[in-house]
Amino acid sequence: MASHLRCENVTVRFGGVVACDCVSLDVEEGKIIGVIGPNGAGKTTLFNVLSRFQDFSEGKLFYREKRIDRYRPHQMVALGLARTFQNINLFAEQSVLSNILVGSHCLIGNPFASLVWTPGARRIERELTRRAFETAELLHLERDLDTLAKHLPYGHQKRVELARALASKPQIILLDEPVAGCNEEETAELKNIVRDINRELGITVVLVEHDMSMVMSVCDYIYVFNFGANLAQGTPAEIQSHPDVINAYLGTEE
Amino acid sequence: MFGQLAMSGLATGSLYALTAVAVVVVFRNTRVINLAQGDFAMIAAFLGIVFLKDFQLNYFLMLPLVIVCSMLLGVLVERLVMRPIADTDWLTLFTATLGVYYILHGVAGWAWGRDTKAFPVTFDAKPVSILGTLVSEGHLVNMAWALGIGLILFLFFKYTKQGIAMRAVTDDPETAKLMGIPVRFIVMLTWAMAGFLAAFAGLLLAPILYVSPGMMDEVLIKGYVAAVFGGLYSIPGAILGALMIGVAENLAGGYLGAHFKTATAFAMIVLLLTFRPKGLFGIQARREI
Amino acid sequence: MDVLQAAGRRFARDRAGDAGYLDPEAVDRTRRQRRALADMKARFQKQNWIAAGLLMGLAALFPMLPGVEGWMAYTVALVIIYIIAAQGVAVLTGYAGLVTVGHGGFLAIGAYTSALLTKHYGTELITGLIAGGLMSALIGCLLGLIFLRLSGAFMAIGTLGFAFFVGTIVNNVDLFEGREGINLAKNRVLLWEIGDVGFYYVALAVFALVTLLIYCLTRSGVGRALMALRDAEKAAESSGIDRVFYRTLAFSISAFITGLAGVLNGHIVRYISSEVYADIWYSVDFLVAAIVGGSAFLMGPVLGGIFVALLPYFLEELHDLAFILKGVALILVLMFAPAGLAEVMGRPLRALRRRQIERLGVGASRQENASIREPGKLEAR
Repeated sequence: MASHLRCENVTVRFGGVVACDCVSLDVEEGKIIGVIGPNGAGKTTLFNVLSRFQDFSEGKLFYREKRIDRYRPHQMVALGLARTFQNINLFAEQSVLSNILVGSHCLIGNPFASLVWTPGARRIERELTRRAFETAELLHLERDLDTLAKHLPYGHQKRVELARALASKPQIILLDEPVAGCNEEETAELKNIVRDINRELGITVVLVEHDMSMVMSVCDYIYVFNFGANLAQGTPAEIQSHPDVINAYLGTEE
Repeated sequence: MFGQLAMSGLATGSLYALTAVAVVVVFRNTRVINLAQGDFAMIAAFLGIVFLKDFQLNYFLMLPLVIVCSMLLGVLVERLVMRPIADTDWLTLFTATLGVYYILHGVAGWAWGRDTKAFPVTFDAKPVSILGTLVSEGHLVNMAWALGIGLILFLFFKYTKQGIAMRAVTDDPETAKLMGIPVRFIVMLTWAMAGFLAAFAGLLLAPILYVSPGMMDEVLIKGYVAAVFGGLYSIPGAILGALMIGVAENLAGGYLGAHFKTATAFAMIVLLLTFRPKGLFGIQARREI
Repeated sequence: MDVLQAAGRRFARDRAGDAGYLDPEAVDRTRRQRRALADMKARFQKQNWIAAGLLMGLAALFPMLPGVEGWMAYTVALVIIYIIAAQGVAVLTGYAGLVTVGHGGFLAIGAYTSALLTKHYGTELITGLIAGGLMSALIGCLLGLIFLRLSGAFMAIGTLGFAFFVGTIVNNVDLFEGREGINLAKNRVLLWEIGDVGFYYVALAVFALVTLLIYCLTRSGVGRALMALRDAEKAAESSGIDRVFYRTLAFSISAFITGLAGVLNGHIVRYISSEVYADIWYSVDFLVAAIVGGSAFLMGPVLGGIFVALLPYFLEELHDLAFILKGVALILVLMFAPAGLAEVMGRPLRALRRRQIERLGVGASRQENASIREPGKLEAR
């Protein structure tokens, strides 16, 4: 199948430190791709490159075979890419409904029409609100719509982030450690949600995660990074028996 | 002409530096942009007149008295106004110092009147030749004072327990608290230091600007600009900013005309902020996600 | 049919068997409650509109009340102008989170644009308002671009510098006639000459339009985008919000509103000089008005503007004592109403409405969670 999001030989330097060293990644359309690696392997930096929050010095970035090396983050949403953050990054002082509505910002049409409430803008606004309700129901947040985001428990906040990302009608979604800090029950629930996002909504998913059970059970294909470079790639079964991966995680016995 | 303008610019700049450093010291420990800093100095100047004239005290007897009063004023403002609202955002704190500004203005006008008064001690304008340029003696005395205060501050921050604790609070108030540093006391000390610097700023500027409730308004703005110039966190940056502004505005005043003096300071700061949004030595924003 | 909607149905069906994950009956119940809630909110909104209409009607009747003379209308018009200027600041400070101490500059730009047009081309007030507002918005747009990366105290000093810059220009460029000032002929609206009372109505109309604009702004996608940028910049950008565009837009709208106030301010006294417009205290007063009233509330600048404009008016005779009282009042407001006077005065109404909403029984399950706060996240802005 076609490549949805691809980076080739991307290198990122912070001063003298090389965070990503000639990293390549190819996300196939409609799949769930896992990105794993020990702490400091450059996973989050790679994510920031893919969502254009981080500039890179060398390499190429493609979205559906289109070069997007110099796109700005907000333009990625228009392309159809949404992301969540590792540390929850919500509009804490705003209600859950506003949080989700902000996610659908790329659908508001002409901002000046929205500003003066033309009939068309009001129709869009009603439509977006309806969609926000549906997204909330999808993620079981329908009782929290009027609650301020900061008052929600941790697991719910994670789902609000997901809802906000989904509200932009993405075709590909980048999830940065979606179950970090969640308990077992919440993890199981998110596992199902991620699967549903992929199967029912047909959204490509890229997932950075430390929770191996989640990665191994959900992902179709896995990339392993170590010290900012590609280490291995393959199906979950291949990865689990890959000697380099075992070394990287458990250390070699020398 | 150039050398002379630059020299007297340095002298003025070193007096701006007293205010700029006070703005930085208070800001980096409490997030407060202290608009009342100039009025602390103004009150100090008035107190100087009171002690010299009404009490007939000697200049060097008056000096410590004014310093103590000024430091007390700083502590008082911290206790009565800033501490109750310390948890709010910086804009509220900023506006609160504006309230203090109004109050101190009112108090000074009420107690001593609105009209300008001469300061009883003046320095000779007698020129002295240094490195081929003529400098007035008063300017030299002021520069010497400013240099001495700078040295005291340096030693304080470098070697005393309180100075090191203050730096720790600047770096990370949460950790400082966990390390057992009495953050509240340090904040109080910060305001006392603002009062200390204000006492000198007021007494040294009084012979030049004369004494009135509004005497420090312009100096405050320039001190603030200088502090931002240096990045709001750096004391050497603030001093450098103050000196540069002093020299630049004096040159602009000499060559372009007096009413371009203040505009020069702002032209400089706007230009700088356009290219370095966190000032010259500020911590430039890192893209952390 | 929407993909999401279809998928949502399928989710619900698939999960109906899961242990209470999405009980169809529960979903139905929440939807019913939600509709009831929406109805109630619509009712509240209608009440708000009626109240606003009544207040505006009262304001329109004011000059006709017995015993009200021309100078009173003039004074109230001055307060309204103050309020409009503060509304401009509130758009930037409250919704976009950018502190400005330079809106006196926009006041001057509006005033001078219209005054020069009136003096040289004999334009009337409406044209002046449009031209002054647009000129101010244009400069605001440029300033927004120049200060794109500034925030907090740096933004404050940058905008203060802008006010000084405008002051220096009007003081020194011959076109603006410096301290001599520009005298204006009697004000005209279209073809009719207007006096103090007529001017009062013009100011009131501008105020109503500006308030409507801000109301629409805050409840539109644009307002949401501004508040999102204010609260979490990264998250906003990752939601597709163009930071450059919206910051510049906020600056332009804010400058436009204060520019309008400037036009009115120039024409009401019919005399414009750098003595007034080079004074940076205007900028500070507008900011104080926005903060004291509560910059994120529609009524905030109104209450704040009245506070700042009328306090010195009543205290004029006290001179220095007035300064002290002003400072004390300011500090007291900040201590006891840190979110602004509008927040405190709106409390009873909001409590009443919350009780009505609670009676619907929506969101009851979340009540106990309302007390869960993460201590580290309390710091706003």
